Amino acid sequence: MNIPQNMISFGVAAVVSVLIACVPLFSSSYTVSLTMTLLLFFVLAQSWDWVGGELGYVNLSHFAFYGLGAYVFSIAYSNDLHPALSLFLAPIVTALIVSVISVPLFRLRGEYFAFATLALLPLFQILASNLKWLTKGSEGIILPAEQITETAFILMVALAFVTFVASTILVRSPFGLLIRSIRDDEEVAESIGVRILPRKIILMALSAAIAAIAGGIHGWYLSFIDPTTMFGLDVALVPIAMALLGGSALLWGPLVGVIVLVFMNQWLLTNISILHSAFYGLVILLVGRFLPGGLLRSQLLGKVKPLGFLTKEHHEHIVSAGTTIGGLSLSKREPDQDRVALECKNVTKRFGGNTALKDVSIRINEGEIVGLIGANGSGKTTLFNCISRILDLSEGAIVVYGDDIAHLRRDQIAHAGIGRSYQIPRSFERMTVRENITTALMASISPPDYANAKHEAARFAQYVGLADQVDVVVASLSPQKRKLLELARALATSPKILLVDEVASGLTSNEISEFVNHIRELRDVYGLTIIWVEHIFSALSQVVDRVVVLEQGSVIADGPLAEVLENENVQRSYFGAATGGEIEC
Amino acid sequence: MNFSKTLASLAVASASLCGAAGYAVGQDNCPEVIKLGTTVSDSGAFSPLSAGWHEMIVAYAQKINDAGGVALSDCGSNASVELVVYDDQSNPATAVTLFEKMISEEGVDFLVGPDWSSLGLAVSSVAERHDIPVVMANVAAPNVYREGQTNVFGTPYPIVPLWSKRYFEMLETVEPKPTSIFFVVQDNPITNAISGFWTKQAEESSYSVVGTETFPSDLKDFTSIILKIRQAKPDIIYISSFDTASVPLVQQMRQLRVKAMDVHHVMLSGALANQVGEDVEGLSGEIGWINSIDNEESALAAEVMAEVGLDPFLSVFAIARYTPAVVMLQAIEMAGSVDRDKVRQMLRSATFEGPGGEIRFDHLGYPSETNGAFTIQIQDGNPEVVWPPELQTKPVAWPAPSWQ
Amino acid sequence: MNSSIDLVTVAQLLINGTLLGGLYALIAFGLSVVYGVANILNFAHGTMLAIAAISGAVLYEKFGLPIPVILIILVSFGFVFGWIFYLTLLQPLEKREPHQRTVGMVLVAVGALIIMGDVTAVLAGAEQRVIRVSSTYFEIRGVIISGTQIGILVGAAVCMIALHIFLTRSWTGSSIRAVAQNTIGATICGIDSARTSATTFALGAGIVAVAGLMYIISYPLNPYSGFPLTVKAFSIILLGGIGNLTGTLLAGLALGIGEAVVAFTIGPQWAAAVSILIVLGCLLLFPGLTTSRREA
Repeated sequence: MNIPQNMISFGVAAVVSVLIACVPLFSSSYTVSLTMTLLLFFVLAQSWDWVGGELGYVNLSHFAFYGLGAYVFSIAYSNDLHPALSLFLAPIVTALIVSVISVPLFRLRGEYFAFATLALLPLFQILASNLKWLTKGSEGIILPAEQITETAFILMVALAFVTFVASTILVRSPFGLLIRSIRDDEEVAESIGVRILPRKIILMALSAAIAAIAGGIHGWYLSFIDPTTMFGLDVALVPIAMALLGGSALLWGPLVGVIVLVFMNQWLLTNISILHSAFYGLVILLVGRFLPGGLLRSQLLGKVKPLGFLTKEHHEHIVSAGTTIGGLSLSKREPDQDRVALECKNVTKRFGGNTALKDVSIRINEGEIVGLIGANGSGKTTLFNCISRILDLSEGAIVVYGDDIAHLRRDQIAHAGIGRSYQIPRSFERMTVRENITTALMASISPPDYANAKHEAARFAQYVGLADQVDVVVASLSPQKRKLLELARALATSPKILLVDEVASGLTSNEISEFVNHIRELRDVYGLTIIWVEHIFSALSQVVDRVVVLEQGSVIADGPLAEVLENENVQRSYFGAATGGEIEC
Repeated sequence: MNFSKTLASLAVASASLCGAAGYAVGQDNCPEVIKLGTTVSDSGAFSPLSAGWHEMIVAYAQKINDAGGVALSDCGSNASVELVVYDDQSNPATAVTLFEKMISEEGVDFLVGPDWSSLGLAVSSVAERHDIPVVMANVAAPNVYREGQTNVFGTPYPIVPLWSKRYFEMLETVEPKPTSIFFVVQDNPITNAISGFWTKQAEESSYSVVGTETFPSDLKDFTSIILKIRQAKPDIIYISSFDTASVPLVQQMRQLRVKAMDVHHVMLSGALANQVGEDVEGLSGEIGWINSIDNEESALAAEVMAEVGLDPFLSVFAIARYTPAVVMLQAIEMAGSVDRDKVRQMLRSATFEGPGGEIRFDHLGYPSETNGAFTIQIQDGNPEVVWPPELQTKPVAWPAPSWQ
Repeated sequence: MNSSIDLVTVAQLLINGTLLGGLYALIAFGLSVVYGVANILNFAHGTMLAIAAISGAVLYEKFGLPIPVILIILVSFGFVFGWIFYLTLLQPLEKREPHQRTVGMVLVAVGALIIMGDVTAVLAGAEQRVIRVSSTYFEIRGVIISGTQIGILVGAAVCMIALHIFLTRSWTGSSIRAVAQNTIGATICGIDSARTSATTFALGAGIVAVAGLMYIISYPLNPYSGFPLTVKAFSIILLGGIGNLTGTLLAGLALGIGEAVVAFTIGPQWAAAVSILIVLGCLLLFPGLTTSRREA
């Protein structure tokens, strides 16, 4: 983290917070009340965006965590616990409950996750109404009539400050980077070594805790809570709409959305006699229709220079770390050619009626460069997917350095030393080249210092020829460049076994030579074992020790390239008939 | 970059500070215009209940002004009434903000309303904080009227302890005498309170309570409850529910051929009758106000409602929304000026004339002795007052027709 | 509470639960088709239903039109409304990258549901409405069923069958399914995916109109009753399988019966929790249900 930059942000935030905290001193209680609403929605919208925007899981039950916090506080407080203790309990209990229920919830993806979380709101409402011994049911909990407006206000300001600071830290931290990689492609993130589930739960619990504290403070402020007010569906989507309206996954997005909608609502209520909800809804609808990504991503706003800082995406906030000259941060070692690195034992993979891999047995020693060839659909990529456990085997076993991978999680497989690139590149689209590679670095068992990691990432990028694009967002890169990024990212996981899936197509012959040199260097200098799927024989022939040929899921040849090409079965597979002679490449 | 950041942050902070000023600087006790501030739930979850009320209270203020306004004896002048009304969207937090606005920015003298206990609770805190008397409307939950508050009053019609008083009086006089009651209760604070209180009363009066079933407000299929009622075979089925929530219940009771000596509904209204149709025949119920009561305020209320097109049987809680302004203006007249201390004193101690009869507030601001109900029964499709006998339009048909 | 379980009681419970379930399924059909095919998270689904229902009630009360006529009016209007809604508001979102597409859809749907609820409340009044249809009752060995309820259950089944035939036998239906499974492939075959998606959405709106009318004949509604119904519909299609009509029908029936049984044995306050718990339970115990039909 860049310390001075953070200090400035926090300093500014602190000053603003103090100013806001002084509002009760010199303005009307109406303004206080309005500001309270602003702060509440800001806290809810911002904390929602951690899971909704940064992690990419649309959590529609966020408002329920607010209600849960309000209930925990009120139950504690009305049972004579000190308010500070009650306010402390609210996030703790809520975070615990949320952690437990998010374990099963996170098995769901995308819209399924959204639907399931939506169902939690009415569920909590029913529980609150029916568990009368605990929650006093539909009657609600009435807190003693006290004048605590100022206290509640200051607490809410403090909470808003904490939420903002936490957001900034999240965005700029390696944790935030890994979270965003999960958002962009969860499977791939896992297969480069990111341990997914605990991180998701932690983020969800933190997000819920913030909402819960807000609930506790607000419940105290209102001095009355009941199931409908706390879990009702009509307000539940509002904080989410606010975050989306301003711009999700932007540092200032939720704040802008909250300010716009709260002020607009207030203005409508006091100036328009009917249809104010309809106008409110209309604004939301128009932003959704015409301003993709929210207000802060609109092209119009981008042209207003002084407000430029509001519109920055996360990667633009992170100060460019530059590129330093130096070698790769992989450890140099001699390969031990007697050690078995990877072994496939009778590997079979079926998809319903289609058998993609049939009884595949291969043994690869450390330091070998093995080419994997075969016609399209012969099972090459499927085999790679089985090795990195994107797919599970139907029969047989895959053993990496003596460990059967069947009992390893995907991220553990990455840590065991498997690194791969994908045939159709799967990069983290919304992140830069540097960030993609940094993710791989930070996902390792003992990650480097974050600032150093960003420099290291640049060196990996340089290695594959992406030095000029190191701070470009991947979404705008050509497919060829993305393949190179795949390789760089795979290398950054410090693999012992590298699976390369069709990188050479689209490269010029010079580029191919350079690439081949890299492959050789990776084995000679860094001791990697490499399996390379490729169609371009001229590339393979320059560097492979031997070649394995697949046809319709079975191994039909396994040996040095020249030998394999004379194999009649191979010839038949590629040319339709045996040529009966030598083939030169 | 950092400078513009700072600048923008300050702009944001200032934006949230704007709208300041508007202190209530001392009070002129003899103004020309008395300002009453309130909110009505024109939109949101409770708006179906409060249709037409906004227009009703504005029309009432107009009528007062047309008749010369409010006499301020201490000032030797009359003052006109201005009603400041906003939509609280059925939301407590919104109500709080709007009441704050009316107090700080618009300098209202007194507060009337809002409706509904959840809003009432929030707003009562606001009133207490600013030490401004408020007469709330449809806020029936007794625990809103908290110990230690001095500014909070309310005129719910009817109140829980008096709700079915006349009904049970009537039951003493009918033949054959009912002995068993089955309670069907909507899970809502008021209806829970009503059934809780009157279950106890019933037991003390030696009725046997053969069943109590509680249902959530959005329940649509009442089969399970009705089957249990049929098994229990009670003499009286006592439905403690809001009219709208019980529409499917009444329909399905007819469908499943439920029989009883009487089916009693605590919020029997025109809305229920319209939606249920002929099935409502023979139901008995309670109503907070009938326009045959012989007093001036009642006549005025009938006039105002007719003017805005409100049918008191259709909108049974309208009268509770109407009354706060009546009480507040009477209190001001009795006090002689808009001096808040004097008006507060009046509210605490005086007896007011409401459309439904006398109104007096106890030390918690709750009209515990006065806001009762009249017993009605639907005969030939019309609501007839059947108890008390002095206000009867028709004698009660017992056992209830069409439920045999 | 002494509640004896005799045959008549059980039969009555099951029958009424089935009828309620059929209505639930009808409500969920429109969402299943729209979501399963056009991949649109339509949060405004329940609100559209409430609006259609209330319009139907107003037509019935103010103009005394017979139910079949109202049905035709509502379906036609629903279809046209859905078509226009899709083309003006949702179609342009398809060009965006996935994240912004989702954001746009959520905002459009939330905005639309707020607008629709409010406008309807202003135009037709916020009060609850119902359509009272006089109906004959059949009593079989103590179990009572009304003609209206039978009609609705039959209507739901007919709807499902008609939908199924439409989707599998007609050209439009097949093109809808083609677009659902592979948009690019379908376009290559000459199918205009924009128009097809618009048709799908319009179809969904038409089905919602039918469901709304059936609903308000059975139970009352006000303009704000919509969103809870959306939640219930989501639960049903999740349980039954998105895009799977038979599954949706069965899920709806299961829910209706489940709620009736729970209401009787445990208490009506817990009936609504049943649907949510069943859905969550199934999702968590059978994660296979959620394998996305669109592989990455």
